[in-house]
Amino acid sequence: MNMDPRPVVEAAGLTRRYGSFVAVDHVSFRVGAGRTVGLIGPNGAGKSTILHALMGLAPSEGRIRVLGREPFRERAALMRDVAFVPDVAVLPGWMRVGRAIDLAAALYPRFRRDRVLAFLERCRIPASHRVRTLSKGLKAQLHLAIATAVDARLLVLDEPTLGLDFLARRAFYDALAAEQSQSSRAILITTHQVDEVEPLLSDLLFVDRGRLVLDCAVDALGARFAALEAAPEHLIEARGLKPFHERRLADRVELYFEGADPATLARFGAVRTPGVADLFIARLGGSAP
Amino acid sequence: MTAFLWLLRRETWEHRSIWIAPGLLAALMVLAALFGHAELSLPAAAAHAGAVGGAMLLVFGLPFLLAMIVHSTWYLLDCLHAERRDRSVLYWKALPLGDAITVLSKLVTAVLLIPMVYFATADATTLLIAFIVSLRTHTWLGVSLWRADLWLQLQALWLYLIVTMGIWYLPVSAWLLLVSAWARRAVTLWSILPPLALAWLERGILHSGHVAAWLATRRPQGYLSSAFHDLAGSLFAFADSVGGAGKEPRDVWMLLAPGRFLAMPSTWIGAAAGGALVYAAIRVRRREAES
Repeated sequence: MNMDPRPVVEAAGLTRRYGSFVAVDHVSFRVGAGRTVGLIGPNGAGKSTILHALMGLAPSEGRIRVLGREPFRERAALMRDVAFVPDVAVLPGWMRVGRAIDLAAALYPRFRRDRVLAFLERCRIPASHRVRTLSKGLKAQLHLAIATAVDARLLVLDEPTLGLDFLARRAFYDALAAEQSQSSRAILITTHQVDEVEPLLSDLLFVDRGRLVLDCAVDALGARFAALEAAPEHLIEARGLKPFHERRLADRVELYFEGADPATLARFGAVRTPGVADLFIARLGGSAP
Repeated sequence: MTAFLWLLRRETWEHRSIWIAPGLLAALMVLAALFGHAELSLPAAAAHAGAVGGAMLLVFGLPFLLAMIVHSTWYLLDCLHAERRDRSVLYWKALPLGDAITVLSKLVTAVLLIPMVYFATADATTLLIAFIVSLRTHTWLGVSLWRADLWLQLQALWLYLIVTMGIWYLPVSAWLLLVSAWARRAVTLWSILPPLALAWLERGILHSGHVAAWLATRRPQGYLSSAFHDLAGSLFAFADSVGGAGKEPRDVWMLLAPGRFLAMPSTWIGAAAGGALVYAAIRVRRREAES
């Protein structure tokens, strides 16, 4: 286990403007060593912008430290200790698979070549093939295999399964889960498809319209949030307890509470801990789909 | 340093044309030498053997020089733009490689690696053609191609060209890199129009012509008259001597003007401008990760 208690990522007041448009607005959070954090939000919420700032791809306002470094100023040095998969399908198509591995082995101070080679063998990918000949799903898995062979304290994945079909997404997250069980590194992953990542996550960061709307450990969700399936006769009373979201279903109404006393809620109907996807929709508020 | 060498290697992986284009040119020239037919009516005097041999060796190298210039120019305009076009810039930026070392690797590829590959290919091709011509002609012409002093001069000329062109055209190379790092599309237009527009605006508004005059120094004749002594005159003298005027032509050593080239302010003003433009290209590449 990783005994280093310092956070791997610290962002305070992270802000990014494009002209008068504020894409990311004073976002602050931490990623602890060994945690698996999901940065979750709808398309255009600012997830990738936050991630790009953390990875030093773009300048930003606010104080950011990743592994104690200032990302934009020290990107090259930082990347020696970070494994970063920026997107699906950014591996250059002209590159031969074996050469992508050679390059990573030469550039990273600690690289487990044997693990990528085992992956190639498992997926029957010849090292002499060019990346462009692989399917989109295999490309994503190859990139993940190269990234996880880097002995880094932080693994960062930006929408790693965007545009992949169901089978490829499944294979990708299975590979990631296997990887996670073997190492103690911190993982930061952005996605707008909550369901598939949910079992992997230890912490949640919800982003909406450039703002952080939730920062919570998964195992603290039960203590903090409750979903009440209110009995019709108690609905008005239950609404008086100020739910932050109301979900109308065909035959019932679900009310979402933060910090409410479970015993009090239980008097008005059945109480449960909301799932991540439910909470995501509830937290993003209103009549969001 | 190892990272830099890996970056150069990576350029040869991506741009296989660095090997293929000079190779194709060499193949064409060798084929021409094998099966081509040329009527040479030259004075068959042994006194002119050196001149004729030297001229032929130069002529064999010329296509490589011209192809090299086109190739490097195209490469510089494409290299940083291509990685943004297919978004692979994100992959490169996820690796522990700085923007300065990356941009410099592309500059070195264009001004050193590509020219050296063309030079080596031109040398090999010239040797091969000299050998073929010797076999085919059975005359003094073939023999005249085998003079060590001529070969030495040819090597010196190539190296001199690579170094002086690299310095003289650094502002141009760096400008192309900057356009490649910055322009979203139409890199060719962006590479040509702004300098012309600047010259035109200066003429229209300030009624002066400094920009135009400076641009003119980077035309081929500007380069040749800076890096070589009286090249045109020498060539005429050379042609005269071949034509039978009786003088032994001047050799390459007398044409090169390294002292004057290095003492010209224009050389170093251009190099400084090139340095500034390379710096600008690095800054742009550092920020332009998102499309």
